[in-house]
Amino acid sequence: MLSILVILGVIVFSYLLLMLTPGDPAVKWAGNPRGPGAVKAIELARVELGLDKPLYVQIANFIYNFLTGNLGLSIAYKIPVSQVIISGFTATLELILFTYLFSIPLGVWLGLYSAIKRGSRIDSFIQSLSIVLASTPTFWLGSLILLASNTFTGFLPYGRVSSKLVLSTGFTQITGFYLLDSLIQGNIPVFIDALVRIMPPALAISVYPIGVLARVTRTLIAEALLEDYVRAAVAWGIKRETIIRQFVLRSIIPPVIQISGLSFVYSLVDAMVVETVVFGREGLGSILLDSLHKADFRVTLALAVYLTAFYIIVNTLVDIVQATIDPRIRL
Amino acid sequence: MGEEVSKKTYYIGVVLIAALVVSIVFLYVYTKPQAPSIEQKVVVYAYNDKITGIDPSVEDDTGLVVLGSIYETLTYYDYKTSEVKPRLAVNWTSSSDGKEWVFYLRKGVKFHDGTPFNSTAVKVSVERARDIYRETGRGMGYIWDAVEEIEIVDEYTVKFKLSYPQRLDLLASGSYAAYIFSPSVLEKAGVSSYMDRELEDWFNNGNAVGTGPYKLVYYDPVREVKLEKNSDWWGWREVSNPNAPDVVIIKIVTEPIAQYNGLLSGEIDIASSVPRENTKTLLEKGFKSINLSTYHNFVLFFNTKRYPTNIREFRLAIVHALDMSRIIRDALLGYGKVASGVLPHGFPGHVDNLVYQYNLAKAREYLSIAGVKSPVTITLLYQVDYEETRKFAEIFKSMMMELGVNVELDPQDWARLKDIAKEIWRNPDETPHLVIADWWPTIPSPYDYLYTMLHSESKEWNFAGYENNLFDDLIDSAWILEGENYTKAIELYVQAQQLVYEDAPAVGLWDEIRPFIYSGRINLPEEALNPLYMFVIRFELVEVRS
Repeated sequence: MLSILVILGVIVFSYLLLMLTPGDPAVKWAGNPRGPGAVKAIELARVELGLDKPLYVQIANFIYNFLTGNLGLSIAYKIPVSQVIISGFTATLELILFTYLFSIPLGVWLGLYSAIKRGSRIDSFIQSLSIVLASTPTFWLGSLILLASNTFTGFLPYGRVSSKLVLSTGFTQITGFYLLDSLIQGNIPVFIDALVRIMPPALAISVYPIGVLARVTRTLIAEALLEDYVRAAVAWGIKRETIIRQFVLRSIIPPVIQISGLSFVYSLVDAMVVETVVFGREGLGSILLDSLHKADFRVTLALAVYLTAFYIIVNTLVDIVQATIDPRIRL
Repeated sequence: MGEEVSKKTYYIGVVLIAALVVSIVFLYVYTKPQAPSIEQKVVVYAYNDKITGIDPSVEDDTGLVVLGSIYETLTYYDYKTSEVKPRLAVNWTSSSDGKEWVFYLRKGVKFHDGTPFNSTAVKVSVERARDIYRETGRGMGYIWDAVEEIEIVDEYTVKFKLSYPQRLDLLASGSYAAYIFSPSVLEKAGVSSYMDRELEDWFNNGNAVGTGPYKLVYYDPVREVKLEKNSDWWGWREVSNPNAPDVVIIKIVTEPIAQYNGLLSGEIDIASSVPRENTKTLLEKGFKSINLSTYHNFVLFFNTKRYPTNIREFRLAIVHALDMSRIIRDALLGYGKVASGVLPHGFPGHVDNLVYQYNLAKAREYLSIAGVKSPVTITLLYQVDYEETRKFAEIFKSMMMELGVNVELDPQDWARLKDIAKEIWRNPDETPHLVIADWWPTIPSPYDYLYTMLHSESKEWNFAGYENNLFDDLIDSAWILEGENYTKAIELYVQAQQLVYEDAPAVGLWDEIRPFIYSGRINLPEEALNPLYMFVIRFELVEVRS
């Protein structure tokens, strides 16, 4: 119920904000008309878009259309809004999922190692490193990675996949996740190409979750190692490895999942900036930027709603997973 | 607590991580994608904006880059000779009063779906563009507004009857609203009338049936468009280019630096929007360039309804304090020509001696005559989308300081700029004093620029709020006279431009020179580019070497 209210609130607030800022969607919908009929074309476009109606009617219509799955055509590109968003969404989601595939294990491992070595120089180093990683601006790091790649390997990881390679190998999109699609088709050249291109932006985005997870994991494990049940286990002669693997790590899974979930949605913003501005990849970042520039309020609103829903879904999933793992947690 | 983890686990962890790192590095460094030998000749062209639609009758924006390759017009404008050349029409005649035109069509031409090109296709295509414009005001179908009736004389002869004289051969070469499509689209789209809005949706969803040398096979206006060679195109024997690309990918790459990176990585073969400061590096690395003098120009509009820009002498003071040579050098890095009037160089009707000389003393004299006491503050509204306008704004501000005029900069993206600028007709005192806007043409007629920019009825685009009956009459008369006495019509256009030069409601700043950078694996001849058809590359003339 609360989630629905949040989404409705986002719709209302975003709609008002978009309508009150300069930029006339009717002009764009009419195609930036230039001849003697320009004024007429824009007025007709305004009626077609429903912009001649009072704001509350416009908002109600949008909510109704949204709930019935009718997002209409993009004002800038004249194709279904859903088509515009889906292509960008899969690109950005693939990037974040790939990033977290290695960020979570690496962050947890660093935290674990630091906790075990607590008090030592390695512990200090990892703690400092995690602060640096969590604080590093992703945009800056992405540019550095791009520069380093070009300088040392001569390779510029631009775009998601080589158009020429796609053409020559007959690659076709199935899910929109190129890594997955290429594996399904057994298209190894495209898989490797996509993998090589996704790594640099993924590295840039990964520093935040690695840094945060390393710090949190270190703290949690260090605390857990001081718990009575661990002391008891040591006293009973259970091996150190077993204690850590079977008792300590299990106890930190719920908070790690929660932190990962929060970090995941935060990384969405990072991904949108890095993929668009630094690496020239398609994704939600470029779609959002364009929709704002072109007064394509349908795409902007739909994006705002979908992103809000995405946040809610991820957080809900995290809660469900936590409740499943930890019987003490009730939803 | 704090005891060592067993060494076994430790070493296993280290080995696993090391293996992972080594694998990543190996993949990254040593498996740079090597495209297997491509049997098809492929050219990737980076275009800097997403496609706004591909309806051949209605589209009037970035869709041109696709339309120009898959559709053809009846005639083609040769900008070098200013002649109208045959294309889908092989010949044409007009009556002495310019109100009746007969076009003789090329025989044996087929559309991409195999249906024949004939008079019916011409009639349907022209009427649709005209009628959609008349009914809704959308598109550039106003170019056909004079067409009263289209008569099919026979399968390959079409007669146009006009309500007033027009240079129909010129209009038929337009970059918008002049494309011929197959009437079979009605059946394909499942509509009974070409006015049905669903037909527009059908086109914009990635469907096309033209006669051009390339056909549309994949359309994603946000990512890329794929074209395939049309082996049945009538023109292959004329261009005689066996190395023309089999496949063309128009890749949407909005960031200039990404286009630059794409060229260097070999992903892109032709780029039209690399950062100007990087072109030298590319040329040094073996890339080639064609610097196209385009019809894309940038104009400075004065708010003629707001103090102090409503004073003619104040406007003249501003223009004489503007050192355009410095602008071309510093803001455009040489990729521009100082404008002369509001029509670009080489465009029909362009006049060469409408340049304001940079003269600070004269500027101060005009300022004194204007009676405007300095310091005075004015606002400049400009686009952030172009790097050139951003740089221009900064330099302009510093130049005006020498005149004792403070300039407040107001950077906006195009959608907002237009919204703000056209408020001059409703709220001139709240509208900025100066606006920079750019333009490129639809048809090779001065009316295209002059009407849109400065006619008093052009409320959407006349950012100067200029209202001059004499100017309006001159260009309206010239527009009609084009069909009867083209030379006389041009004289009227020249007079209109001189009026604008004296009044200075708007000033041409620069005409863009756009570098098209391409890789050594292809040859891009100059004939493949035409300033009337902005960003369109005639791929049938491009040679793929490797």
